[in-house]
Amino acid sequence: MVTGFNLMFLVGKIIHFSYPYIVVISMYTCWGMLKITNNPYIAVLIAIIISILLHIMVEPLFYYINKRRGMIDINSSFILSLGIAMILTEIMSHQINYGFPISFPVNWMNSYKLFTISFIRISSGQLYTLFVSIFIALALFVIIFKTQIGRAFRAVAENITVARLQGIPIVKLNLLLYSITGFLGGIIALLFSMLLGSASPWLGEYISLKVLAVAIVAGLGNIKGAIVCGLALGILESLIIHFLPGSWSNAIAFLLMLLVILIKPRGIFSE
Amino acid sequence: MVPDNSNNILEIKNITVSYGPIIALKKVFLEVKQGQVVILIGSNGAGKSTLLNTIIGLEKPDEGRIIYHTDDITFWLPERVTRSGIFLIPEDGGIFRTLTVKENLQLGAYYSFEKYSEQLDFVVNLFPLLKERLKQTAGTLSGGEQRILAFSKALMANSKILMFDEPSLGLSPKYIIQIYDTIKYLNRYGYTILLAEQNSVQAFKYADKIYVLDDGQITLDGSPADLKDYKRIKEVYLGR
Repeated sequence: MVTGFNLMFLVGKIIHFSYPYIVVISMYTCWGMLKITNNPYIAVLIAIIISILLHIMVEPLFYYINKRRGMIDINSSFILSLGIAMILTEIMSHQINYGFPISFPVNWMNSYKLFTISFIRISSGQLYTLFVSIFIALALFVIIFKTQIGRAFRAVAENITVARLQGIPIVKLNLLLYSITGFLGGIIALLFSMLLGSASPWLGEYISLKVLAVAIVAGLGNIKGAIVCGLALGILESLIIHFLPGSWSNAIAFLLMLLVILIKPRGIFSE
Repeated sequence: MVPDNSNNILEIKNITVSYGPIIALKKVFLEVKQGQVVILIGSNGAGKSTLLNTIIGLEKPDEGRIIYHTDDITFWLPERVTRSGIFLIPEDGGIFRTLTVKENLQLGAYYSFEKYSEQLDFVVNLFPLLKERLKQTAGTLSGGEQRILAFSKALMANSKILMFDEPSLGLSPKYIIQIYDTIKYLNRYGYTILLAEQNSVQAFKYADKIYVLDDGQITLDGSPADLKDYKRIKEVYLGR
């Protein structure tokens, strides 16, 4: 999740705050499709497609704002993103399932216990999540650092005018970027639904805060950092949950982030 | 006299460009013939960069036409103009500092990637110093080396017209001479060159044709030999 977020920042210079919300929307889609068709493959496919479509739909908004302002404006795109997030939340809380949280069928989660190491219990769903996210991160890495398209992404991120002077078609490239992020979002939604087994309109808010925090701690736009910090935070939180009452985990996690930002304002992994 | 348009590769007709109420270029005309070195001289703020940016498509003119071969490219997007064979090397060098030298060259060949290795050989032969720096981040090169990288990127693109915006800006005399010798070499090799410059001593040495841009208007044009005798040129640009 943070990886996708940082990808957007790296290339689009956009703080894509609505990203987690779009992820939650695709969770809802997946749930709805499961209900209607009862076929997990169709549900998965449609959830991913919806995520991609939503991203392609919001892309012109960001593009237009930056164009009107005549520069790449992080603040205005952040506000726009926030607005999209609110709209999505409202739609979810009013229109779908009367605003009640949705829950996925039990067998969806694959949550039977796989094995136990002292106090750590690992379910197969969690294991899937881990492997899929590592695989996605690696794939992204290869795309961004080893292919011509990745080079073009990084070039656009550094200097959009010079990139255009190379003949790099920025509009097409932007669409591609949003599609990739959308695809990632769809996958993430599936993993989340496997892990959590439920979703509510307010889930987006909860996740987005954390994503933003991890992204800042790792250094905005830093893909390596995002992966490492995301995993570290996950492990840290589960350890805290084991030793302290549950509600402490958030407090401690954010406290640590504050400390990190005080010590290294540009994030752990930034140069 | 009927002007001879037969081998004009690039033709600019009465271009006017404005930023809001400020008029940057006023009815500017310019012709570039196949195989020429055309140099545009003018002081700071005379509109040289604006003119080059308008040709490549970063700025849109209020009126006038830009003709390349037989195509009207006035309102084409920069990426399309670049694809069609005009390459602009902007004032600040136009390299990607966070990418390596090799990645910069690969991006230079963005839309002619099938000829990549062939072009790379040509460029590395021309500038041997790039060979040992391929893996280095472009931002760590010296100013002159960065300029050479920008040149190489343009060559990777396999263009027909190269446009340079003040290629000698901020370079030591040694590099300026090297850069101009390279430009001359490229011209002989078959590239048509359009160049904006404040340093008119170089311009008079290398140009086939000179346009003087003054406050957004072309005030003089002709071959260096023709222009040398104008009083204003002597006073303002040659410092005599």
